[in-house]
Amino acid sequence: MANSPLSIAMISDFFHPNVGGVENHIYMLSVNLLRRGHKVIVITHSYPPDRVGVRWLLPGLKVYYIPFTTLVSSATLPDFLTFLPYFRNIILRERITLIHAHASLSALGHEGILHAHLLGVRTVFTDHSLFGFADAASILTNKLLEATMRTVGATICVSHTGRENTVLRANLAPEDVYVIPNSLIADQFLPAATPLTSDTVTIVVVSRLAYRKGVDLLVAAAPRICAACPNVRFVVGGDGPKLIDLLQMREKYFLQDRIELLGPVLHRDVPKVLTRGAIFLNTSLTEAFGTAILEAACAGLYIVSTRVGGVPEILPEDMISFALPTEDDIFRAIVEAIDIVQHGKHDPHRAHERIRGFYDWKQVAVRTEKVYRAVMDSPPQNLWTRIERTMGLGPFVGPIFTIILAVDCLFFMCLEYWYPREDIDYVDKQWGKHRFEEVLET
Amino acid sequence: MNVALVKTLTATSSSTTTDASTRLVVMSEDHWERVLWKQQSFPDNYVPPSFLSSLTKNPNFRPYTYWPLMLGACAITQHLSTIFIFLSVFVRLLDCTFDPRLLVFISAAMFVAGYALWELLECTQGGWLASSDRRAKAVKASILVFLALMALAPVLRTLTAATSSDSIWALSACLLILNAALADYSSAARGVGARERLTSVLSINAAISAAVVLASRLQDDLSVFALVLFAVQLFALFPLLRYRLQDAPSSIQLGSTLTLAAFSVVIAAPLSATVASLFATALGSTTFLAPAVLLWAQQYKNEIRGPWDAATPRVHS
Repeated sequence: MANSPLSIAMISDFFHPNVGGVENHIYMLSVNLLRRGHKVIVITHSYPPDRVGVRWLLPGLKVYYIPFTTLVSSATLPDFLTFLPYFRNIILRERITLIHAHASLSALGHEGILHAHLLGVRTVFTDHSLFGFADAASILTNKLLEATMRTVGATICVSHTGRENTVLRANLAPEDVYVIPNSLIADQFLPAATPLTSDTVTIVVVSRLAYRKGVDLLVAAAPRICAACPNVRFVVGGDGPKLIDLLQMREKYFLQDRIELLGPVLHRDVPKVLTRGAIFLNTSLTEAFGTAILEAACAGLYIVSTRVGGVPEILPEDMISFALPTEDDIFRAIVEAIDIVQHGKHDPHRAHERIRGFYDWKQVAVRTEKVYRAVMDSPPQNLWTRIERTMGLGPFVGPIFTIILAVDCLFFMCLEYWYPREDIDYVDKQWGKHRFEEVLET
Repeated sequence: MNVALVKTLTATSSSTTTDASTRLVVMSEDHWERVLWKQQSFPDNYVPPSFLSSLTKNPNFRPYTYWPLMLGACAITQHLSTIFIFLSVFVRLLDCTFDPRLLVFISAAMFVAGYALWELLECTQGGWLASSDRRAKAVKASILVFLALMALAPVLRTLTAATSSDSIWALSACLLILNAALADYSSAARGVGARERLTSVLSINAAISAAVVLASRLQDDLSVFALVLFAVQLFALFPLLRYRLQDAPSSIQLGSTLTLAAFSVVIAAPLSATVASLFATALGSTTFLAPAVLLWAQQYKNEIRGPWDAATPRVHS
């Protein structure tokens, strides 16, 4: 029983064809779990114009695109009940035993965790982001998260900082929260084959150009760096509301020939941009993990980053220089980094080999599987425990979520009556491990 | 953040630390590091002794003291007093127990006195010169407002003739509450450029609308004109003066607050003893009780900070 394959459903609002950290994480984790012989499907909402229904992604990952419209930034409306008919049907016909919800702003994920117990399915949740405690949006989403986390089997965070944050936000027992980092495909981020010329140092920035990515710091520090080091050039990739600030800065200081703005960069083009430089600058004001930093380090760049969130955990101290989120300190750190790079103290190929040893999606899948096994072996909560735990949320929120729970149960009973389980079209032809190998390895 | 949650959080974090220290003995003596790049011999849900050690609470805690808070509350008391005075004047005009011509003269006198005070403040703050042009503009604007209101008075009087008085009372109450809630209570020294804020504009609009709908209940054109003119004095011009006076010595602030509050209660008293006592209670609790409640509530302040918070970038502008 301990090694029997699991049937896992990944549920999130965020998935391919969108691109991003969460989307990539779900895909890579699913593929590596498939490789380990498990059955994995993904459930997400539809993407206009025509991505709706069942699709297959290479190599044999089945994706259910539920016909839900999105509310804002590709998240669906959190209405707690409308997902249940789809959910019940999919979970039953695919004979799913465990669901894995992703991202704390994904309404589908929360709903999946709420409905799972009706079908005797166990739950795991991965939190990918950091939230504060003070603003109104954070207070509301934190309460929603706390309500869902009352009944979840286990929680996974992508960094130790993220874990502390999630434990505080959702009021969880720290023992039930696991830390499993993101990873990357090292082969996609190879260092430049020919060494870069040593007389000019190129600083690369690839980021969404938004306030939270600290673009203000870049705008303030870049002219000073250009003035102090005449052999420095900047390459900035990305798009966003702060692009205009960068353009203005470039014009104000006549740096058109020193600062190159690439605009939006496709993810598959990022390696090409990275290998043009020797230093990668990240000025984020908050970052749960920092996949972009990891990708740049893998491509052999020396990293300069603000010391925020989970960034200090992802690389050893000799591959990264930290700065405070101030203009002066960014300037100091860049000048130091230029010195390190110019004196050849940073070997790109050695850095690449080290990263290859640090991070591997196969390891992530193994560690996640351990969490799945722990959840499957733990005794499930019965309905009364659920109600008691939900009531414990607070004098105001507790009853609200208990009512939602009760209505959910009633709705489920109606569905059992309207659509009996016998009428469901079960999926009995599985994509086994042998079939997977046939497709992937030949 | 609510109190219960914060208490549980505190309990969780302290119990975590003790749990972790006992667990550490059970685990191997290998050294745990807070890094993700190293494969460690600890399980993924291992709770290190340093768990939540970077959590700080109330990092910028600044305990309030009673007197500065009370002085700050004086601006609110003054504003409430002006609303109460306005209401009393309106009731007297409605009952025809107050000559509207007298109100026009009072408004004019208030304007002249207020303007003189404004000039005096301007003079003491060194802006006396190069302002004759501005003064001419002010005179022109005040004459324009005066004439415009006079011309509009007949229209305003019949504006809501088709609406029942009950609706007008409810509407004006809502508008005046909105006015008090959105008014700008900051001072010139602390709130730079605060006068241009949207809420402050909304606040003045709400008050003038309340004056207009109330004025439409009055009998004759002159009363309508007098009331709206008085409202402009109280709700548009007085806040400007109050904004400047906030920086005056505390004796002046306390004196003006006390005068206004006493006056509002005294002119309400002959109309209704109940209303006057309600006014007095409202003003008293705003001035004395509300700061004390804030002081008391500060013990529940629990702001959680940690490495997950978004950093604030510091640049030389």
